Amino acid sequence: MNQEPIKRTQWVTALSALPAEQVVSLCTELSEGWKIRPKSIPQSGLGLLKLNDSALNDPFYLGEIPISSAWIEVTTAEGQQTEGAAQLMDDRLELVEALALCDAILATQLPGWEKIEAMVKQGLQLREVIKIERKRLLAHTQVNFSLLDDVGDDNADT
Amino acid sequence: MLTLDPIWQPETQQAQFRLLLEAMSYPGRCYSLLNISEENSAALAVLAVLMDSEVSLADPHFRLEEGDWPLLQVNSKELDEADYILCDGSKTLDFLPKLGSLACPEQSATLILVVEQLGQGDINLKLTGPGINGVNELRMNGLAPHWLTMRSDSNGTFPLGVDWILVDKTQMVALPRTTQVEVM
Repeated sequence: MNQEPIKRTQWVTALSALPAEQVVSLCTELSEGWKIRPKSIPQSGLGLLKLNDSALNDPFYLGEIPISSAWIEVTTAEGQQTEGAAQLMDDRLELVEALALCDAILATQLPGWEKIEAMVKQGLQLREVIKIERKRLLAHTQVNFSLLDDVGDDNADT
Repeated sequence: MLTLDPIWQPETQQAQFRLLLEAMSYPGRCYSLLNISEENSAALAVLAVLMDSEVSLADPHFRLEEGDWPLLQVNSKELDEADYILCDGSKTLDFLPKLGSLACPEQSATLILVVEQLGQGDINLKLTGPGINGVNELRMNGLAPHWLTMRSDSNGTFPLGVDWILVDKTQMVALPRTTQVEVM
């Protein structure tokens, strides 16, 4: 049975679930002899999370998040050329550069793409486990408010 | 993994910025820019230091390659609105750059003019003003006379005016609006 290909929008989410060292070391191994140059300067820093209030629709800053981004151009030893990019809620430049490289390798199926795809599948499985755990935790915090109605009726009687 | 040219690296940019400050403080003195190669011109090195997403740039003579713009992370604007304007000094161009206002004279344009050669040449300028001990001479090749007329017109209503950064292949010279220039 043919599996549906994993959407490109999910690759970075999946790979970022794995240990950073695993991603970076595979990328270093695969890109041996390749030329990787930035299309824009890789950036890392704090981004301000902006929301609009519901009453007046005025913007306010909820807080700060670490954010990094990279956009790269890859030329393999055989002369194959492609681009990749990644944006991550994390301040590690080395990791986001590695994720941008994974994006490039998978997008054009450069040599070694099968290993990256295997890592993406592994990452998606990890994300699924985290999702189930979060659902379980959320279920524990749910309150049965219907019990309050019974208490209210009792008070009305007294 | 990623190969980043030295002009885009923080250490080089900090050193270049220091040179720019010195150049503005001592108008007319030539400063050699760092890590200039065949791929990266002096003009691009200066832009790499000054540009970011908060300022705007006009490139009317198309001196920048398409791939330079995302690296500079700068917004492109029209000539009369841009904070920085990169021009070929040998070509004439008729326009009125931003001159600032009396309340905010710093909100004016800075012109980055690319000339053929700094420090020697047929054009000989006499410079006086703040940062210059007495008189300074600046020689160059590749600056059309039109630019000097334009500078004189723009800076006629000081403190409004424009500041210049002249670059050749490897060097730069700054001429802030406070410097009086006379052609010899």
